[in-house]
Amino acid sequence: MPPNLSLDRAAVATVVKKTVVAESRLSIAPESVSEDEPLVGDLLHVNSLGFVGMLVRIEDELDAALPDNLFVGRSFRTVGDLIDVVTTAEATR
Amino acid sequence: MPDERSVPDERAVPDASTVPDELLARARAAHTAAPPLGDPAYDRYCAALAGQLLAHWPQITAANATDVEEAGRAGMPPTLVDRIRLTDAHRDGMVALAERTRRELATVTDVEVPVSGAARAVHRVPRPLGLVMMVYEARPTVTVDGALLPVAVGNAVLLRGGKETAATNAALQRALHDALTDAGLPPGLVTVLDDPHRRLLRALLKRPDQVDVLIPRGSPALVDYCRTSAIPLIASGGGANHLYVHHSADLGLAARVTLDSKLPEPAGCTSVETVLVDRAVAAPYVEALAQELKEADATLTVRTEPGTTIPVSPGLRAEPLAPHDLGREFLGPVVALVAVDGVAEALEHVRAHGSGHTEGVLADDADVVEAFRRRVDAAMVVVNGSLRLHDGPTLGLGSEIAIATGRLHVRGPVTLASLVTYGYVTDAAGALRG
Repeated sequence: MPPNLSLDRAAVATVVKKTVVAESRLSIAPESVSEDEPLVGDLLHVNSLGFVGMLVRIEDELDAALPDNLFVGRSFRTVGDLIDVVTTAEATR
Repeated sequence: MPDERSVPDERAVPDASTVPDELLARARAAHTAAPPLGDPAYDRYCAALAGQLLAHWPQITAANATDVEEAGRAGMPPTLVDRIRLTDAHRDGMVALAERTRRELATVTDVEVPVSGAARAVHRVPRPLGLVMMVYEARPTVTVDGALLPVAVGNAVLLRGGKETAATNAALQRALHDALTDAGLPPGLVTVLDDPHRRLLRALLKRPDQVDVLIPRGSPALVDYCRTSAIPLIASGGGANHLYVHHSADLGLAARVTLDSKLPEPAGCTSVETVLVDRAVAAPYVEALAQELKEADATLTVRTEPGTTIPVSPGLRAEPLAPHDLGREFLGPVVALVAVDGVAEALEHVRAHGSGHTEGVLADDADVVEAFRRRVDAAMVVVNGSLRLHDGPTLGLGSEIAIATGRLHVRGPVTLASLVTYGYVTDAAGALRG
């Protein structure tokens, strides 16, 4: 079994913000999105239908493989929640 | 002890690279063995597909029920579960698409090119694109779209759907293979990928030598990810669409067009997101909008700049416009309203914030219409009508598998005629160049 990979939270935050901005079809600077920002709200529109594509994109940008069921059965309210889930996932490379 | 959870990561599997090779070889062999485009076998295939979908429907719905149940058990929210679920209406839609595609086959044909050179005659002949890979999420009807339109014009397809619909797609594949067999076509023309770990997707996206065209249909993140591949792509970039209301426009029509461009499919890619209205008619336009909403008993939220007067009216909700609202898709019954001083400012706004999908102008002034027609670079410009007209069957352009916003090969509805490339045949009758 490949060794688990420790993901850097700052790197994850950058990638997650970039991904949620793209997923919400916004043309704003990703770094302008705060971690308190709701995933479904006035600014962002991230629904569960987009999670598969987001997972692949996040994996690709981090060069890491994340568990398939990472997003299943969990509820995320904010961008920070999503960053936490990815950072603490059992990632492999 | 090895269990499901200890299955190593895809990139650690020793023979990861051989699986795509076998799969690609099978698909390409089927493509080579398939009869040329225009063969009666493709007509038979469309007919057989409609029949086999009906014959297999009990198995397809049973498989679909297990996917739906599994999705519910996995805690997926109802919106996603709804996207997975197949109903009799979907069946009827898929059967109708097969019948329509069959009728449209005759539109993809040789064209004689007028020449006055050494050749006596030159024909432009449609050729299949080759091996087409579709990547999509959730919705299992896309499996049938992908197995139907590209294959009907001689392509082989790899269909990579979401793992949430794996059982449904497997059942659909059986119907599709029976239809191919009935028609006398190689079953290998349609391959439904079983790829729960995304390993195949990654490997196949690295094979521009074997996969000729990629058609992603899904979330922006998925489409963006597919863009990182070197395989040519046919994809929609989403619609940050505008309607420009010039002061010469019929404002009643402008209001009706706005509502028809938004309310029936508020999250659709042809829906209007921003209305640019000439400042002089902003107030009467909003009045007309309020009137239409009242008559339709419908609700629309309008995000406006400070100082815009919004009448108190049932169905019309006002919210302040935020800077990030420009160029966005609201994905709901919301539009941004921006006042402009004339067509030049409207054109500049569309250039700055549009996504080149669908742009509309409402005007009686012929010069304004002409300026919009000539200067807006979008897959579709709609003059004095609903943006939702941008649809292959609605316009009579033919059945579509997507709406493309790329720069090359196809823009707008991706119909049968866009799922082929072409070559030339010259009947030289013994001519030499010398």
